Amino acid sequence: MKRAILSCNGLDKPEGSVAREAAIRGADATGSEIVCPVLLNRAPARYKKVLSDSLLIVVDGCSTRCASKLAARLEAKVERKVLVTDAVKASGQPLESTLGLGPKGLALAQSIVDELVRKLNAPAVAAEPAAEFETPAEYLAVTHDKFEFRIPVVDYMFNENDVWVRVLDGVARVGISDYMQQKLTDINYFDAPRIDAAVEQFGELGSLESAKAVFEIVSPIGGTVTAVNQAVIDNPGLINEDPYGAGWLVEVKLAAWPQDQELLLEPAAYAETVKRKAAEE
Amino acid sequence: MAETTFMGVPREKISWFPTIDYDKCTFSMESDTFCPHHVFERREGDRKLVVANPNNCVVFCRACAKTCGPDAISFPGKPETIALIKRFASKRP
Repeated sequence: MKRAILSCNGLDKPEGSVAREAAIRGADATGSEIVCPVLLNRAPARYKKVLSDSLLIVVDGCSTRCASKLAARLEAKVERKVLVTDAVKASGQPLESTLGLGPKGLALAQSIVDELVRKLNAPAVAAEPAAEFETPAEYLAVTHDKFEFRIPVVDYMFNENDVWVRVLDGVARVGISDYMQQKLTDINYFDAPRIDAAVEQFGELGSLESAKAVFEIVSPIGGTVTAVNQAVIDNPGLINEDPYGAGWLVEVKLAAWPQDQELLLEPAAYAETVKRKAAEE
Repeated sequence: MAETTFMGVPREKISWFPTIDYDKCTFSMESDTFCPHHVFERREGDRKLVVANPNNCVVFCRACAKTCGPDAISFPGKPETIALIKRFASKRP
């Protein structure tokens, strides 16, 4: 599939200038077509064919994420995202405060492109799911107004951050609850953790994005990431369709399951949490 | 209504809530519009947005910071909070 690159046009911030520069260099380095965010917003028909034929690389300057929101609104298929403010923090080098790019800004734009190319060219990691998890047969239902939130009756445990875990043969499978997927609405991007990454209980296991929010996946368990769900990376909508089954996110080899369980909720207790959260909103 | 405990720890013992850097905040109100837990409140005067209900904040949630363009919202370090929760858990009968 072809690639296209959409960046924010943040002309009022140094990070926006870096995003624009990274998009120009990135288009060259990856053979992608540039998509102008202003024109895309004003006349989406201009890019209709490009977006339907291409995977999109999205470069946002700041956390307002204008480019990401535009891509979500137009239901573009996103392959990878870059956030310049994160890249600035990771580099440990503050940008020049001027809107025109100085040496630091130009160097950062190039390093963003180098990292992007490295990730796009990285061979797919063999990360086959370790175990056969059966789809839940029975659910508890929490209702609030016209909404119904389902919670499997057995086998699943939850943290209060709406992330579930299910364990089979020493391997934990992790995903988000039906309540959270409904709250996020249409999920369009899964920023997966690296295979072999070590994670602590309550640490971060990547993030999910919808037009509405960025959701940090708070890990219910500690251990080492052994697999990510490629089907969800390719089609994040699976999380909305089947959050407890095909929409699972990652598998983790457990480090301290007995202790982790002490800080998790059984389905009935999580149902009470969902009831309370739904009532507060 | 604020949650009273988080994973069995009294909520007021956990200092997890956003802090606004007023040198950076542009008062776009994106964070207030986004947060469904009424952590923020709008006010008159110079500081048009304040953290009015810190204990309403969902522990480990940093979603408002991730919506903040000028990067004006910060949270405490996660490791300290995790250690505190585990310390409480180990003392439970």
